[in-house]
Amino acid sequence: MNQFGTILKFELKGYLKNKVFVGITVFLMAVIAVVMFFPRIMGLFSQDEAQPDASGDRPVLLLATHSGQYDEGLLEAFEAAFPKYQVVMPKIDNPDDPELFRQEIEQGEAECAFMLDGLTDYTYYVKNIVMSDNNTAVADQVLQSLYQVHSLREAGISAEETEKILAAQISHTTESYGKDQIENFFYTYIMIFALYMVILLYGQMVATNVATEKSSRAMEVLITSAKPVSMMFGKVLASCLAGFIQLVCVFGSAFLFFRLNQADWGNNFLINSIFNMPLDLLLYMLLFFVLGFLMYAFMFGAIGSTASKLEDINTSVMPVTLLFIVGFIVVVTSMSGGSIDSPLMVVCSYIPFTSPMAMFTRIAMSTVPFYEVLLSVVILIGSVVGIGFLSAKIYRVGVLLYGTTPKLGAVLKQVWKA
Amino acid sequence: MQLELEKIHKNFGEKQVLTGISFSAQGGSAFGLLGRNGAGKTTTIRILMDVFPADSGQVLMDGKPIDYGKTGIGYLPEERGLYPKKKIIDQLTYFAELKGMKHTEAVKSIDYWLERLGMAEHRNKRLDTLSKGNQQKIQLITALAHNPQIVILDEPFSGLDPVNAMLLKDVVKEEISKGKIVLFSSHQMNYIEEFCDKIAILNAGQIVLQGDLHEIKRNYPRNKLLVRSPEISRILADKHFTDAAPLEGDSALITLASPGEKAQMMQNLAQQYDLDEVKVFEPSLNDIFVEYAGEHQKEENKA
Repeated sequence: MNQFGTILKFELKGYLKNKVFVGITVFLMAVIAVVMFFPRIMGLFSQDEAQPDASGDRPVLLLATHSGQYDEGLLEAFEAAFPKYQVVMPKIDNPDDPELFRQEIEQGEAECAFMLDGLTDYTYYVKNIVMSDNNTAVADQVLQSLYQVHSLREAGISAEETEKILAAQISHTTESYGKDQIENFFYTYIMIFALYMVILLYGQMVATNVATEKSSRAMEVLITSAKPVSMMFGKVLASCLAGFIQLVCVFGSAFLFFRLNQADWGNNFLINSIFNMPLDLLLYMLLFFVLGFLMYAFMFGAIGSTASKLEDINTSVMPVTLLFIVGFIVVVTSMSGGSIDSPLMVVCSYIPFTSPMAMFTRIAMSTVPFYEVLLSVVILIGSVVGIGFLSAKIYRVGVLLYGTTPKLGAVLKQVWKA
Repeated sequence: MQLELEKIHKNFGEKQVLTGISFSAQGGSAFGLLGRNGAGKTTTIRILMDVFPADSGQVLMDGKPIDYGKTGIGYLPEERGLYPKKKIIDQLTYFAELKGMKHTEAVKSIDYWLERLGMAEHRNKRLDTLSKGNQQKIQLITALAHNPQIVILDEPFSGLDPVNAMLLKDVVKEEISKGKIVLFSSHQMNYIEEFCDKIAILNAGQIVLQGDLHEIKRNYPRNKLLVRSPEISRILADKHFTDAAPLEGDSALITLASPGEKAQMMQNLAQQYDLDEVKVFEPSLNDIFVEYAGEHQKEENKA
């Protein structure tokens, strides 16, 4: 126990003093800060832009009718619908001239023009059609409601009633007895992705750490100074703690920055759904994160101990990495497909290699009976302990094998005998 | 204090690595564990240090199975290496703490050893900034800092310059005089001869010779004559000396049928040839080693 504590402290210090580790954490926090302050920063810029508009220097929108007649309320309706424009009704001599507005628009005197042929048909003139141009959509609405008003009035319905009919709004509310998959999707996705990144990143780090000790021959002294079980558990728990500290820094700063800018985000659905994550889900996240992390870190550590050269690490860890990636893909595909409780996902939520992601996703996005969660967690804990001790045994055999990287079968055979 | 290994057997898979190793080493003396590459020295050391268990046999300390919690062991492995990128004081403290020392006493002891080995100025440097010999001295501290009862040194002198070798010799002598059991493994026989009272020669997983080094030498058959003469080529051509082997520097080694012929042979030689020197050949440890470790190899090859 004493040795375990010493190893844990030493390894953790190694992570926290590592410039890359600190650098990545600070970088991520900075990125999150920029994202979180984005609406506030944008707010500063757009205020600057809005000022010349207010001084009356708005772009000109030309409005004309083919007949030369203007329906009552047309100008008012357009002015109300296009507050960014100064709506001008020019005198038209020849309404059939297709070059009618060319000069004004090309020279920038006007930005666009509408030539109405009645209330249900018009031509829109503009220099360049830009992506964000929704003027025609706005005009469609204006004209449609004008047309409706006119038609109703012609049918002898009073102005009051017309207004009432047209103003009728359909309201609805949704009551969900389970989970809101749309709202949960984003934070589940973020959590699963964080889990994925952290496990792969730290798994590699553990494997490299063990292989470095082996190739630098520090192992010769280590293995005679400490028990393999202490070594393995100390290393893996240190990396788990380091990963956890990193996650807390990143998510903690995200939360803090969000709080600082909550007003600026307003009703942004995505951001709000992420930060309104329920606490119990966060705790589940923590549980599955720790267990999943430990299990994979043990496997990566064991593999690291069998590699004789650092260069071999990448190929050696491939099977475990692939196993994990397959699990990730299954979970993410099921998430996007909405088939959270498909038989595949149910099976995956019991297999310890995939259950941290699969079960967490099911808990977050669906309704899972408690006994299922409990069963999955028990299987996972059992596997973590089992794999932990097995990896310590592999470690003891592996670290003393130099030369070519041994086959997994050969190592397991020796582990069995040892 | 007595360390005993009793009938240690170890197989790796099908391969028999150790077949019945037994020896004992006393406190206050150095024990030389010799053997060619692959003879099983490192495996013996690892079993002794409980890195893995023996298939059968036991390790005893003063007659009782060794308690690794109480018996401190220091080890300088042949394959050297620590953490190249870490600060020297940090990693030395780490290793000492792993051996059960408290942080403050570890630092105190390490500072003593850094001073003793002339490495105090490197205390806060990274290991890889040091030369190979100095790195080796740092590694020696990992074997000594926790004041172990048993010190195992595997090729401690390789890579050291003469000044550092002298320093290490003094340190080893100090450790012996403190009553510790020092276990030596080396191919540099002169160092073994200098330190070790007892030796064991391992060959193919067995001890082929062991005992007190002086006794071994004394009991070595005294049936060889070392002859130095300007007429050495004539002596070698003489049919009377059928078993004469040439040596460097006008010398030859003449093997007698029995040690009893010694006086007669010396007389004959002196009468017939101009001799500079003739004496009974006393083997060096090197000769003994080559004979025992080498011969068995030959037998094995024949089989």
